[in-house]
Amino acid sequence: MTNKKTQHKPQTRRAPKAFKLDDSSVRLEGEFAQEPLSSEAVVSEEDESALALPQNNIAPEPKPAVSRWSKIIAIGGGGLLSLAIGLAVDSLIRDLFARYDWLGWTAVGLTVLAFLGLIGLFIKEWRSLSRLEQIDHIRDDLQTAADNDSDKEARAALQKLMALYADRPETAHGRTLLIGHTQEIIDGRDLVKLAERDLLAPLDARARLIVMESAKRVSVITALSPRALVDILIVLYENLRIVRRVSRLYGARPGTLGFWRLARDVAAHLAVTGGMAAGDSLVEQFIGQGLAAKLSARLGEGLVNGFLTARIGVAAIQTCRPAPFIATKGPSLSELMSEITKSAPDEVADQD
Amino acid sequence: MSPLNSLFKNARLALTDAQTALDNFAESAVDLTVPTVRLGVTGLARSGKTVFISALVHNLIAGGRLPLLDAAGTGRLARAYLQPQPDDDVPRFNYEQHVETLTKERLWPDSTHQISQLRLTIEYESATFLSRQLGGGKLHLDIVDYPGEWLLDLVLLRQDFRQFSKEALKRAKARPDLSAEFLSTLARHQDKLHEEFSEDVARDLANTFTTYLSRCRDDENALSMLPPGRFLMPGDMKGTPALTFAPLDLGSTQVKPKAGTLLAIMERRYEAYRKHVVRPFFKNHFAKLDRQIVLVDALTAINAGPAALDDLSQALTEIMGAFRPGKSSWLSSILSRKINRILFAATKADHLRREDHEHLEKLLQQLVQQAINRAEFSGASVETLALASVRSTRQATVHHDGVETPALLGTPMPAETIGDIQFDGEEEAAIFPGDLPEDLSDLFAEEQDRTEAEDQTALKYVRFRPPKLERTAEGLTLSLPHIRLDRAMEFLLGDKLA
Ligand SMILES: Nc1nc2c(ncn2[C@@H]2O[C@H](COP(=O)(O)OP(=O)(O)O)[C@@H](O)[C@H]2O)c(=O)[nH]1
Ligand SMILES: [Mg+2]
Repeated sequence: MTNKKTQHKPQTRRAPKAFKLDDSSVRLEGEFAQEPLSSEAVVSEEDESALALPQNNIAPEPKPAVSRWSKIIAIGGGGLLSLAIGLAVDSLIRDLFARYDWLGWTAVGLTVLAFLGLIGLFIKEWRSLSRLEQIDHIRDDLQTAADNDSDKEARAALQKLMALYADRPETAHGRTLLIGHTQEIIDGRDLVKLAERDLLAPLDARARLIVMESAKRVSVITALSPRALVDILIVLYENLRIVRRVSRLYGARPGTLGFWRLARDVAAHLAVTGGMAAGDSLVEQFIGQGLAAKLSARLGEGLVNGFLTARIGVAAIQTCRPAPFIATKGPSLSELMSEITKSAPDEVADQD
Repeated sequence: MSPLNSLFKNARLALTDAQTALDNFAESAVDLTVPTVRLGVTGLARSGKTVFISALVHNLIAGGRLPLLDAAGTGRLARAYLQPQPDDDVPRFNYEQHVETLTKERLWPDSTHQISQLRLTIEYESATFLSRQLGGGKLHLDIVDYPGEWLLDLVLLRQDFRQFSKEALKRAKARPDLSAEFLSTLARHQDKLHEEFSEDVARDLANTFTTYLSRCRDDENALSMLPPGRFLMPGDMKGTPALTFAPLDLGSTQVKPKAGTLLAIMERRYEAYRKHVVRPFFKNHFAKLDRQIVLVDALTAINAGPAALDDLSQALTEIMGAFRPGKSSWLSSILSRKINRILFAATKADHLRREDHEHLEKLLQQLVQQAINRAEFSGASVETLALASVRSTRQATVHHDGVETPALLGTPMPAETIGDIQFDGEEEAAIFPGDLPEDLSDLFAEEQDRTEAEDQTALKYVRFRPPKLERTAEGLTLSLPHIRLDRAMEFLLGDKLA
């Protein structure tokens, strides 16, 4: 059966075809490993993931280029610094050798040890950074898969998502469900939604708890504390703690560098959404909850701090979660706040 | 036994009787508070109604995989079981036998010939706190299976015999290859119109007319607009006078027929058909529906060519007319409930690869667009979806002669053919059904300039046998696989199980 086509239809459509599986010229792929003879057909059963797709027609977002100059400065400066350290260590060891040989050898040994430690640290930091990057990728991939309703992209991204949680026993149930879905559900967008519902929902609930806890604590302690400085320290401490806990919950293992990167992302996220929040929901929050706030100025102060903490928590969730919120809306500030205002006054009253 | 003793005994008996009666009453009172949804399942002949209902019920009862039905996916579905249906005068949908045929024999069940009903009771845990407190958690789902052809009869309520004859003959003349026999019979009896009625002639006309209709419906023609709908599915009305008439060539004469002539009797029977067949159906069954799914077999129509597609589109528009009757029409005067969700579903999507599902859905949208606009206007929410109630294929790729061809892996039905390959119904095969055109209007336009070469690239959907059911490690048989059946259920029932 060839593909005869007449002129007046430019688009080529392929003719229907059938391959019998027990025909000697057709083989199921996997049964034989060799290349097919030219007259043979190999049928490979797709694990539903190798589907040809409609091309996505949403332009990828261009990434900002890292400035070349700053890179050059970093390389030059870093090199110089390493040389300086190297030189210092070298002369130190020489001096020590000049005194006693054994002192020199000890110094060499310590240097090697420090060097190994440094390498280890680098590897760890690098891995944690690449894990953060991976989470960002997974989120982007899931978003595009859902936007294009592409099952191939969704399956690929979900594979990565499940790999991310492979060593987390508490996600085992969700992962089993999800594997079942990838074999049966045929639409990309549905798959992403199901991943949210079956794999991420328990994590989301925990993340909410973490944020609630910190926000409550902040509002209670700052309402009671006598000093502004204590307030600031508490707020700072709790906020950093939120970022660390939420990121670990969602599968990132931020080291020092990774942690600061995350903190920066959260701050950036806040900067983007912050204007909005201050514009309407902030005002709304406090006029709406005026009653509680009016109880005492202190309580009001506590609530403001709790509110700020909750806001950072929401931003942290949005930055650390390896999937966009599609099936659900994600935790909202007003919802968190109403819960805090419900419980905070009682706690303050208890402690007063 | 002393008289006193027996008196006591009688009293006790009477008391237990009263007790049971009271219990029964309480039970039925409880039952009255259980909400009921009546789901209408319709579609033209062979569109997949029987298979749809069997798969839906089977998946609910057997706890099949329905992740997109929220109640099932979040584990709130406790159990579902069949119960005696509320209407005693309607045949029961033969669920047990259909499922047995599907799963054990791996054959497709017998198609719908008449209306049937099934009551499924679903126990679930409500997702909202309030309704959990209110008890709830139980839903009667009454599934009503009826042929879509019966909806097409609604047209007849607007037409008298003269108009009906005119329309029917116009359609018959447009399909001379199918209607030759009927038309010649009609011509033969033309001079008997005003003579005394003879049952032989009437039966002759009715039979040839019915043959013509059923020929139109055959797979290779796949036409849909074939009123009167009961002719092809007579059920127990077969042979009654109300089904023994045919359209007549009345020309433009306006004379009132004399009593007792062929014409007069035929006219009377047409009226009887409207009165005893069409109206009761709408009144007793259609008017009570809450939800409706209309199954559409677009693939057979594609197989049969543009004429069939065109006809299907017309039929769907007519069907939609039933869901949105005019304010002053007879139908809206009898509607006791309002259908508030209508799903148009293109069935048998498992005959297509995933990439083509979108095309199928677009085609369906195109077919029902007008209809959809109208229904949305009337306040019902309408959706379209491509689904397979039972998924009989898997996706595969064939590498042959250095060319990769996407294909579907399944067991074709016996005697199906593609090119010069014929199947025996036992062996698996990888089938590539041909490309759907990018531009769907090609499907409608193809006819005139179709050459022989193009006939070869025309789409060809072979029928597959139902799938072999997988077994779990524990030896349990899994429920029937499907495509988007759960999404259809979520649209139709999701809010009732919330
Ligand atoms: N592959 C496949 N075939 C189907 C499906 N549903 C229906 N069919 C085919 O369509 C035929 C008619 O279906 P049926 O439910 O009997 O149609 P009804 O007349 O509307 O009741 C069946 O015999 C099957 O061959 C489906 O989900 N998948
Ligand atoms: Mg049926």
